[in-house]
Amino acid sequence: MSENPSESETGEPAVDASGLPDHVTDADIRESAARERREKLRMFLTNWQGVTGLILVTLFFASAIFAPWLAPYDPNALDVPARLSGPTWDHLAGTDQLGRDTLSRILYGGRVALKIAAIGVSVALVVGLILGMIAGFGPRWLDNLLLLAFDTVRSFPTIVLALAMVALTGPSLGMVLAIVIITSIPQYARVARTATLTLKNTDFILAERSLGASMARILLHHVMPNVVGPLLILAAMDVPVVVTVEAGLSFLGLGVLPPTASWGTILNEGYLVIRDAPWMVIAGGIPLILTTLGFTFLGEALRDIFDPRMGKGR
Amino acid sequence: MKQTGLSRRGFLGTTAALGALGLTPGWTTAAFAQTGGTLRLRIDGDNDVLDPGFMTGGTEIEAQKQCLPFLAQYARDGETFTWEPSYFVTKLEQRDATHIDFELAEGLVWSNGYGPVLASDVKFSYERMKDSDWSGYFEALDHVEVTGDRTGTIVLGKPFAPFIMITLCHGPGAVLSEKAMADVGDRFTTQFPAVCGPYTYEATPGQRAVFTANPEWTGPKPAFDRVECNVITEVKAAELAFEAGELDCTEVGADTLARYTKNMPDGTAIAVAGELQYMWMGMNTEHPKLQDIRVRKAIQHAVDVDTILQGAYSGTTAKSHGIICPGLTGQRDSAGYGYDPAKARDLLAEAGVSGLQLTLRTLNNQERMLAAQIIQANLMQVGITVKVLPLDSGPFWEMGQESKGDTWQDLELWLMRFGTTPDPYEATQWFTSDQVGVWNWERWTDEEYDRLYEEGINETDPQKRHDIYVRMQEIMENTGAYVWINHEPEAFVHSTEIGVNAAPSGELNYRRFTKA
Repeated sequence: MSENPSESETGEPAVDASGLPDHVTDADIRESAARERREKLRMFLTNWQGVTGLILVTLFFASAIFAPWLAPYDPNALDVPARLSGPTWDHLAGTDQLGRDTLSRILYGGRVALKIAAIGVSVALVVGLILGMIAGFGPRWLDNLLLLAFDTVRSFPTIVLALAMVALTGPSLGMVLAIVIITSIPQYARVARTATLTLKNTDFILAERSLGASMARILLHHVMPNVVGPLLILAAMDVPVVVTVEAGLSFLGLGVLPPTASWGTILNEGYLVIRDAPWMVIAGGIPLILTTLGFTFLGEALRDIFDPRMGKGR
Repeated sequence: MKQTGLSRRGFLGTTAALGALGLTPGWTTAAFAQTGGTLRLRIDGDNDVLDPGFMTGGTEIEAQKQCLPFLAQYARDGETFTWEPSYFVTKLEQRDATHIDFELAEGLVWSNGYGPVLASDVKFSYERMKDSDWSGYFEALDHVEVTGDRTGTIVLGKPFAPFIMITLCHGPGAVLSEKAMADVGDRFTTQFPAVCGPYTYEATPGQRAVFTANPEWTGPKPAFDRVECNVITEVKAAELAFEAGELDCTEVGADTLARYTKNMPDGTAIAVAGELQYMWMGMNTEHPKLQDIRVRKAIQHAVDVDTILQGAYSGTTAKSHGIICPGLTGQRDSAGYGYDPAKARDLLAEAGVSGLQLTLRTLNNQERMLAAQIIQANLMQVGITVKVLPLDSGPFWEMGQESKGDTWQDLELWLMRFGTTPDPYEATQWFTSDQVGVWNWERWTDEEYDRLYEEGINETDPQKRHDIYVRMQEIMENTGAYVWINHEPEAFVHSTEIGVNAAPSGELNYRRFTKA
């Protein structure tokens, strides 16, 4: 009988590479691995969704990183006489209520989104991975304790948790980051834990143990490489969620502080003048939609190609 | 035999015809006429405390005006407001400086079997107010003398010129049934213990308050049988509801007011109640960073108020030079400082201050966030870094009050707006020495100001009153703790099918609305 029902549900991973049959040589293996890589690259390049996703994601990173060089104006420079101007050659995406250039604000807003997404997702991923592996590999009581903690955090609705925390501490970018990290750790941890559980009793781990390897060594050298793949795909799919959480909190006035531009604050300001200047909402919404689509397409394409269980179903 | 069933073609044809009929403008007008007995309005939140002694104000006053007797009501004469006796009295006269005689109308009865409205109810209601949250309005009242069932005299302890206008016409002047109040234990919240007025009141929290015709009402019938006040928190949402034809009248924000003024849609009109709001940026004179008056004066010179009026208020508001609103005795026509960043930098240099970092607290709404960001940019130009901190109304209104926590010690800058009544004394009462830590968040005291406040209440000569209130505002300005911003109008957009009635402070009086 299995200790945990999820163990039998997840099935065996197709990554166990120990114990080669006698007639297979090293060269054969290298040749086969290279062929497989080429095959996967070809599959990715012929997947239009994946390529579109990659292009959009690259655009997102580039526009955010190079915003100071791309933006035609200082995003916080006021020009009240030119307020609520429509799209013109001077202001390609129009101006807001204080005459600030919307295009420049969108570009700089991308930096906020990128910062939250990059820092938030990577910290959550690393912490979630470590906690998940410890939960899966460690003693039973620790597993239960961590699971209880994960499920407790997961049971809070993100926005409600954010509302409560901001009411206590006041809005700030750091607060948004903390909320994103805290609420995303459990999902990475749960995936990492399940994957670790399935590896726990495999021969190569048992062999490693019998040789007297420490827990840290086993986790770092043998478990992690086998677990991290699916997590990275999950992270790519998670980026748009994080970006929209930040935009949502900023929309409600709970995120970045003025005058910092964020896609959420641009949307909110645009919503307030929607009858006078509808293009502001459109201009603020487009990058949000494209980023969300980009990361989702990319994540799905990667999952289709690299997840062996998905592959069998094709 | 001929079949009379429903065929696919027949169904499509009928649907298309019905759809086309629905789009015909004539048809919608006809539908509107049928619901003409109902007035559809917006309230910004639930009425939590209807008790005039312990209410918050605003729409709660609107409800009181429909369901409780008042001795006097506002009368509008062009741009100025005066008062007139209400329907509930046959006589309301100021006999001398401290005596006001009244006689209640005949045939007024309380609902729920509490009998006729008596002069003793007036005595009970007004003397009760002296121990309430709104006691400031009744400071001048000494007692009420009952001379008959329906007659009596309001006796003031000292001459107080604006008593009828400020107190009797406004929410605190509501009359309650003494017997009904005894039965509910002298307090009530969301349900009137007894009503006497054209409407009865019923509310569904979070949805609407409904006023329906009071069957026991014998006075003049209001124009509408039923008034529905929908709870819509956001001004923007209410504007959209109005444009969709779901509301007959609603308050509008600055940018919408500008758009409507420029291009008025058919069948729509704007009504402006008054400009009895005064907004300023306050500074805490006791905060270590702002203790030096030169720093405060530098900030006064550094803020470009005209840009705020354009950028945040679309040019729809009047520039402010003090706390006395346009049209009232004592309004100033200019401030003692102007926008001058060079002078601001000089003052800061003189004070030896550089790299100053301040926090500006504001309510989290559209206009004030824009104003705060303009101030942030202005102060940046003279070398002051400002962090804008948006707050919800709960923490915002408590932040300067010593009884509500310790935030008052950290207050540096804040954007504040008070509303007032059509007499200058009301606005000046919040800045006396005993208001420090209550509503005087700037925390300065001045003996001359306190003395002038008393003089202003007792003075009846208009020119002398004018001089007193102008001097009081100079004293405030000289503390350096104020940057005057604007007087926002209470503007309502409404369908031309109805006529709006609003108090100068912006409360609507539904029973005095008219049908065109």
